[in-house]
Amino acid sequence: MAKKLIEAKNISKYYRLGVLGSRSLQEDLSNWWSGKSKQEELPDPESSRHIWALRDISFDVFQGEVLGLIGKNGAGKSTLLKIISRITLPTSGRIFGNGRIASLLEVGTGFHSELTGRENIYLNGHIMGMKKKEIDRKFDEIIEFSGVSRFLDTPIKRYSSGMYVRLAFAVAAHLDPEILVIDEVLAVGDVEFQQKCQAKIKSISKEEGKTILFVSHSIQTLRNVCDRALVLDKGKIIVSGETESVLTSYTKRNRDQFLGTDYTVQSNLPGNEYIRVKKVELVPDYINHEQVIDVRTGMTVLFEFIYKQEEPGDLMVNLQVFNNAGELIFELASKNYRFKNGVVKGESSIPGNFFNDGLYYISLAFVRNSTARLFYLDSCLSFDVEDYQDSDDLGGKWAGVVRPSFPIELNQEPDP
Amino acid sequence: MDKTSGWQWEISAHRAWFRFNLREVFQYKDLVFRFVRRDIIASYQQTILGPIWVFLQPLFTTLVYFIIFHRVANISTDGIPALLFYLPGIIIWTFYADCITTTMNTFQNNAYIFNKVYFPRIIVPISSILFHSFRISIQLLLFLVVCSFYAWSGTTIHFSWQILLIPVIIGLTACFALGCGLIISVLTAKYRDLDNIMQFMLRLFMFAAPVVYPASLISGKYKFLFWLNPLTPVIEIFRSSFLNPTPFRCCIYYWECSQLLSS
Repeated sequence: MAKKLIEAKNISKYYRLGVLGSRSLQEDLSNWWSGKSKQEELPDPESSRHIWALRDISFDVFQGEVLGLIGKNGAGKSTLLKIISRITLPTSGRIFGNGRIASLLEVGTGFHSELTGRENIYLNGHIMGMKKKEIDRKFDEIIEFSGVSRFLDTPIKRYSSGMYVRLAFAVAAHLDPEILVIDEVLAVGDVEFQQKCQAKIKSISKEEGKTILFVSHSIQTLRNVCDRALVLDKGKIIVSGETESVLTSYTKRNRDQFLGTDYTVQSNLPGNEYIRVKKVELVPDYINHEQVIDVRTGMTVLFEFIYKQEEPGDLMVNLQVFNNAGELIFELASKNYRFKNGVVKGESSIPGNFFNDGLYYISLAFVRNSTARLFYLDSCLSFDVEDYQDSDDLGGKWAGVVRPSFPIELNQEPDP
Repeated sequence: MDKTSGWQWEISAHRAWFRFNLREVFQYKDLVFRFVRRDIIASYQQTILGPIWVFLQPLFTTLVYFIIFHRVANISTDGIPALLFYLPGIIIWTFYADCITTTMNTFQNNAYIFNKVYFPRIIVPISSILFHSFRISIQLLLFLVVCSFYAWSGTTIHFSWQILLIPVIIGLTACFALGCGLIISVLTAKYRDLDNIMQFMLRLFMFAAPVVYPASLISGKYKFLFWLNPLTPVIEIFRSSFLNPTPFRCCIYYWECSQLLSS
């Protein structure tokens, strides 16, 4: 049994919402006047002015393992990392630990744009907690890893963003703590550099026996890197365990939640005075037995809404597809239609062999007279495209945003 | 609480932000010097005159004060040559004002670092005060040069034993600025209004210290209040150590005062 390095017990964190400022000064003064100390002012869990970012989180981290944290935006992942890195204090609960922690909530923290690459390596290294001797010893390695040796004595404000990130990550990768806390920093740089980073993380944990806490949105990265994973949702751990099973249940949850919603069972339909959406649905055209969307699967998007307009005008519906990183992959626009008030149904087909593997979101926009947006239904559908490769393919992540299967023909010229 | 289980560290809900842990600060001494170095390099990047600005800033200010307060307003300089009179006051006052301004803006200027990584927060103000101390020591060299120029051209300069106190009083000024700055920093982090108020207060406070007039100008019932200003004895000791020997006073309570604030 590996040694326990971190033990978190019932960690909770709440934030106060609303404007900090004059109001809070007044409150502070009146609290102070009435002799109420801050500790006594217990957070009211029901109050709308407070939000629980974390609620009774308990977990252990063992030596030499890579623990992944995954969850939607606002699930509390970053808050948890901030507490472990001692940037913010928990509202209640305790964390015990052994060993030096270095946290990479960002790469290149404290980089100063006027200073040279060399100066910044030292500055950033010291901020991260390295001693001068350590940096001296690893300096050549850092330079080599970053690949910016030619620009070492150039102020980093003249660096390209890629060089900046590579230099920053190079310093981070050569930190020498017992526990490393990493937040999303791999989502930078080109594919080649990302793979280099993932390989580095693996080697840090497997060969050097370091313990890593790792937060990422990317299921693929977590699958590659982590031994164990936790899923956070609304400040609570909902699943934890071995990476593969956790990720499967996580993607499944997401799939179940987002492949279609019939809003008519709810008391109020999303929308406004012009548009009320009744339902959205994504119907995949499964070609495999497991009923999983993979890169070959085509799909149809169906939606239904109530249209209400005082004056006659044109209506157009735009369908936008975003990838997991929030980039717009493409946008479809319907023709302009002139409808009477009533129920309108829409349908759009997306062929197979188009999406690359990954998580995608669909949003709908309702537009009047081509210019005025009546309503925007954000991320109403989400689907996860699984990888599929024939046995003679290379394996690994297929590069590119989309993955069409246009044929490439090769012909040998006959010898003259 | 559970100390028997052999954990090295513990994070719990109640801990002071500015918990002063000298040993921890010492562990980060490399970072302190790196910050100082960063400030020194960064402040003279892309300037043609570079480090010479350290000299030019007090000289220009002296020139302005000389014209306005000496020539136009005709305020006495206690019989001391005007340049020699204004320069030390300006040097010390600028040092104090810079120290307090950077310290009180610690949280705002470094939020981007503080949000991302942990190290003892006190490191940032300490290093910026060291940076300003570095500047003031160079400026004091300038003052020595000016002094020796005057001595050479015939003005009487009395070097008294109090000259030995100069490093001490500068250290005290730094402590005092750090103490004030830290208190204000905590408040400005929450109430930005204080930021504006402090800029104004600092400007006003300069006239409460004998920067542009000699301390001998103040007499009567306000004299006690005037000497309560911690910067008054600093500037006066400094002047008297070079210029005209006046009795040495008010240092002890000053020490107590700054200690109280920085604790």
